[in-house]
Amino acid sequence: MAPLGRAALLVAFGCLIYAALAGGYAAARRRRRLALSARNALLAAFGATAVAAAVLVAALLRHDFTFAYVAEHTSAQLPARYRVSALWGGQEGSLLFWLLVLTGYSSIAVLAARRAGQDLLAWVVPILGTIGAFFAFLVVAIASPFHTQTAPPDGLGLTPSLQNPYMLIHPPLLYLGYVGLSIPFAFAMATLLARRGDEMWIVVTRRWTLVAWTFLGVGQLLGAHWAYVEVGWGGYYAWDPVENAALMPWLAATAFLHSVMIQEKRGMLKVWNMLLVVLAFCLAIFGDFLTRSGVINSIHSFAQGKVGPWLLGFICAVTAASLALVFARLPLLRARTRLESLVSREATFLYNNLLLVALCLTILWGVAFPLLSEAVRGQTVTIARPYYDFFLRVFGLPLLLLMGIGPLVAWRRASLRALGNAFLGPALLAVATGVVLIALGAGSSRPGLIAYSFSVFVLASIALEFARGTRARRSLAGGSWPAAFGSLVARNRRRYGGYVVHAAVVLLAIGIAGSSAYQTVRERRLQPGQSMNVAGYTLAFQGTTEGQSSNARELRTHLLLSRGGHTLGSIAPGKNYYPAERSSSNEVAIRHNFLTLEDVYVIADQIDAKSGAVYFKVLVKPLVNLIWLAGAVFVLGSLITLWPDAREERRLAARYRAEGALVRV
Amino acid sequence: MGGKRSPARLVVALSVAGVLAIFLVYTALAGGGTPSLKPSQLAGHTGRVSLVGKVVGSVTGQSHSAAGMRFRVQDIGGKSAVPVVYHGSVPDLFRTGRDVVVDGRLRHGSFVAVPGTLVTKCPSKYTPKG
Repeated sequence: MAPLGRAALLVAFGCLIYAALAGGYAAARRRRRLALSARNALLAAFGATAVAAAVLVAALLRHDFTFAYVAEHTSAQLPARYRVSALWGGQEGSLLFWLLVLTGYSSIAVLAARRAGQDLLAWVVPILGTIGAFFAFLVVAIASPFHTQTAPPDGLGLTPSLQNPYMLIHPPLLYLGYVGLSIPFAFAMATLLARRGDEMWIVVTRRWTLVAWTFLGVGQLLGAHWAYVEVGWGGYYAWDPVENAALMPWLAATAFLHSVMIQEKRGMLKVWNMLLVVLAFCLAIFGDFLTRSGVINSIHSFAQGKVGPWLLGFICAVTAASLALVFARLPLLRARTRLESLVSREATFLYNNLLLVALCLTILWGVAFPLLSEAVRGQTVTIARPYYDFFLRVFGLPLLLLMGIGPLVAWRRASLRALGNAFLGPALLAVATGVVLIALGAGSSRPGLIAYSFSVFVLASIALEFARGTRARRSLAGGSWPAAFGSLVARNRRRYGGYVVHAAVVLLAIGIAGSSAYQTVRERRLQPGQSMNVAGYTLAFQGTTEGQSSNARELRTHLLLSRGGHTLGSIAPGKNYYPAERSSSNEVAIRHNFLTLEDVYVIADQIDAKSGAVYFKVLVKPLVNLIWLAGAVFVLGSLITLWPDAREERRLAARYRAEGALVRV
Repeated sequence: MGGKRSPARLVVALSVAGVLAIFLVYTALAGGGTPSLKPSQLAGHTGRVSLVGKVVGSVTGQSHSAAGMRFRVQDIGGKSAVPVVYHGSVPDLFRTGRDVVVDGRLRHGSFVAVPGTLVTKCPSKYTPKG
């Protein structure tokens, strides 16, 4: 089977090289038939990659240990679902998975985007072909998943901490996000190569960017949830380089999603958008580099290999080529209009972009600093949590406020009087909330208090927007309030879906502020019969029991949880000991309160078998469940903005037909 | 500089200046990061550092007792090692043979860790026991 996999990858590589070279020639010389054959080569590359991936999955499922990759990442006892997940579990497999997603996305993009125009598509094919050829080269020549060997009796298996349902969904979602950013990048560069200065590439790739951005966002939240419930240290995000690797392109893509609206509406920020799309794409590749090169000290240690320098070289080449191209086409990218006032919708978008990019670049600096420091001073320096927390507050809190201001400011030029009227309600509500929170004792954390007040301001301004829109819709079309509300959202999916995503970000901010700024942590050693008090809760330690599962000895401590004299129930944190792997794991107990969204998170840190005493760590995390709720709202908002809208398509098509004659010289 | 100039440039210039100022204030107030060192590089460092290495030998004592938990950390792929005294919670995956990161200071030849800073590397790849 391995020769088939190798052959399929060679075919894919050949097709992608052809798509890049023949496609480039066809686009430059305007050869339509050749361009079509290059496009078909791109589609064929997807087919060949799919065959290679199928060969590897089949080998994983059949325990074919003659494949070195299968022996290194699975074992005979490993359940089938984790054998499939080994496709993205190791270096070679994950590169193959990347190539599969890339060629798949590319095929759909070139087939679905026909309205973009022949000249644009003709350039998209060679660009996607070049990116694909690079990754195909990696799996063909540098890190092949099809190396064979004499089969060992059993494979090495998958680390127990990764035998977890999150392993099935968190990594592929991140990959779908990372790779998705290639499509807007390819269309942007194609626009420049085709000497066009219009906005067609933005219209065609808007959904691609949204899809990639949604996958990246959801993937990260799932990773955070995994860390929270399984890893058992009481947190959900550690600012680790590998976590930041996904956050950076997400922030760049967030900035991009906002600034393209300015280009669509007002023809401004054309160069900026080009730079943002290059930044987002390069950061996505950099994410792969961070996880796979092993050059950066991370608490995640992934399988490492020889691809690091190649990925870094590719990032440098892409950055240089893209910047040169943008520079060469600067005359095409002149803005049609200018920013008229610093108090306008455009200006708030600009501020939002600067803050997002500043946050993204400070994180990048924090990630890259240890490398630079080692290269320059010969000493590695780790940038720790306080650095990131500081910049999250400095840039994040103003961003939060802007989410509330933006929707209330008029396009082009807003009068201060109109602004005052629009802001009065939300601002009063925010101030009132702040005062009430101080009275309740939330003044203990200033950033927390600011985050809460800003959040109320944003939620109020979003609610106001929905109320105004619904009222206007109802007076225009009549009918009931719910009908007017439904038709409002359906007619303006981008706008109102966007507000729903904003609401999700606010929930996230409240959840993060609540669970970090206002959490209570207590540690105590308890004998059976003793109890401890944490933030109004009483935990009475009753005793320890021992059980046995198929592969682990399970110790459980039993605690009776009560609050204000009311018994809330029993919880049982403990430890599992895996004799075969010679390892243990903390099995934390979490008590959710679905009314207050607060968690009581208990870790049985040390169990003393002789004396029966247990060292407990208890964290009370207010509002932490809002973070997971935010995930659901985020998906809902993204789906609303993504939902096909025939009316909008017609409007845009008509606009570009009218403009096309002018722009496409 | 006519009045027709777009204020966008001004905003960008001011924000770049603002970001740089914030950066300077941060580095002035909070200092940079913590040096991250291997046991062989520890000599001469008296300030707080992050020690990176592999746990070798036996692990003795309880991390929540007054005397603390004691183990040795060795250069990854090297020979020099340093004894470590640690208090506070111990991650799941901690054991002899694991790569760890722990903050602390060198005191009289042994590394006194800051309580609760011990982190094991999350092994996303299975490595043979040994």
